[in-house]
Amino acid sequence: MDEKFDCIIVGAGIAGLAAAMILARNNMKFLLIEKGDFAGAKNVSGGVLWGTDLARLVPEYWKEKDGGWERFINHRRLTFMDEQSTFSLDFKSSHFDEPPYSGVVVLRSKFDRWLAEKVQEAIDESDYAMESFIATNIKVDEVLMEDNKAMGIRTGDEEFHTDSVIIAEGVNNLLSRQVGLQDDYVPADHMLTGIKEVIRFDQKVLEDRFQLDGLSGMSNEFVGYATDGVEGGGFLYTNRDTISLGLVAGIKDMREKEKSPHDILNHFKEHPVIRDTIKGGEVVEYSAHVVSSGDKRVMPRQLYKDGVLLCGEAANLLINAGKAIQGMDFALRSGIIGAETIIKAKEQGDFSSRTLQEYRQALDDSYVMKDINNFQDAVHMLHSPEMYRDIPNLVCDFGRTFFTIDNQPTQKSRKLFSASVKKHSSYWDLIKIGFKGAKSL
Amino acid sequence: MKLLTLSERLGLVSYRNQAKSDIKPHIRVDTDICNSVCPHKCTTYVCPANCYTMDEDGKVHFQVEDCIECGTCMYACDQGAVDWNYPDPEIGRGVTWNFG
Repeated sequence: MDEKFDCIIVGAGIAGLAAAMILARNNMKFLLIEKGDFAGAKNVSGGVLWGTDLARLVPEYWKEKDGGWERFINHRRLTFMDEQSTFSLDFKSSHFDEPPYSGVVVLRSKFDRWLAEKVQEAIDESDYAMESFIATNIKVDEVLMEDNKAMGIRTGDEEFHTDSVIIAEGVNNLLSRQVGLQDDYVPADHMLTGIKEVIRFDQKVLEDRFQLDGLSGMSNEFVGYATDGVEGGGFLYTNRDTISLGLVAGIKDMREKEKSPHDILNHFKEHPVIRDTIKGGEVVEYSAHVVSSGDKRVMPRQLYKDGVLLCGEAANLLINAGKAIQGMDFALRSGIIGAETIIKAKEQGDFSSRTLQEYRQALDDSYVMKDINNFQDAVHMLHSPEMYRDIPNLVCDFGRTFFTIDNQPTQKSRKLFSASVKKHSSYWDLIKIGFKGAKSL
Repeated sequence: MKLLTLSERLGLVSYRNQAKSDIKPHIRVDTDICNSVCPHKCTTYVCPANCYTMDEDGKVHFQVEDCIECGTCMYACDQGAVDWNYPDPEIGRGVTWNFG
């Protein structure tokens, strides 16, 4: 094909699809390339798409009866876990019942495919209905560079030419490395393996067990015993007739502690509380994918160069600051900002880094980089042994003594707490963590 | 609820080009490195699909058929033994998730 595109997007995940939607609406001529059989075919997440940005791509998506999302979140739970017990912070509110929802659970194989249909509709309505494409089953082997500026992509023997490339290839960012924005070898230090099972329940059992009404849903994160002493945490999200149950585990930590992710997942599932929670369910899929920790030290050295932008997890845009694991919403927003930058570049007829650096600027000014920058201390703290081992043990130990009624004189809570602290940590450590926590959150 | 073995878990995964016997491996592993200098051989336990196995003699072997393209080995291997790529849609293996 001799024709030149305004933009080629590599990867039809959330970042790539968000970028494509904006490009289509602004009558740009683009090619969105996906290596899977369809958009979403190779994508895995926990996963909740947090925030309200989805409505920017698909306005009033909640009105569609069979939209690609699973459930909206009106119930949040953070659970500390030791060998026998769980102690949860639980928040449920009808405040979250009305759209725009502030988080929806998704299963990517279904969600991304649905979103891609919406993008195709936008293409069909654009000036380039016949010249913009979503192309699946194509693996991009190389971003073609000329004088250090991107000018196309190569797949097998075929080349496609373009003024700009948006790399939205996901966390295993081989093309980001090839264009020189990321090191060839990324060490395991700030990378985790996410592993999960999708477990199906009878609809009525699911609704009753998780207090669901209509399309309401719950998100539950776990720290402590869930990961068997390895850096990371567990999660449980409710889908329409399944749940997503899984965990993330630090790769370097697994290497050092000689742990297997699939064993850790079984360890988590055997916990008495989880065992009761998933009783009667049937596993319908097992999946795994690498995810970054949100530690800035793993981010590519820059997110743009002449003719190229990195969006989503290709740029390691992710954070877990204790409140929520945010990656897909960062992907969505960075895709939007990336596309807006490309549109501006076309207007100015300049796709060099002189224009494209505005992507970084806009991203820095957005909540994405603001949160990544502001919550680095929280990321470090959450990935420390105190947080995934000592604190959950302490909290559960306190819970056990506090809720024990044994017809003996009851001790004051303060004394019970003091005993739990001494057993699993120390007041000095707690003050340090409290100080760090207050500062970082 | 009964826990699943890893092979039962992998039995739930939809792989591409399953009918093809001669697929092109998307990951190349220089097991000579694993079996000579590597102090931990960690891929044999961190891979969620057990593509890396150790035999009775402690030698590492690799098969790509069960790979779910997660990427773990690419980071876990700090010895330069893993040459990781995405599978070719036509002649490679790799996954198609039903849920994802």
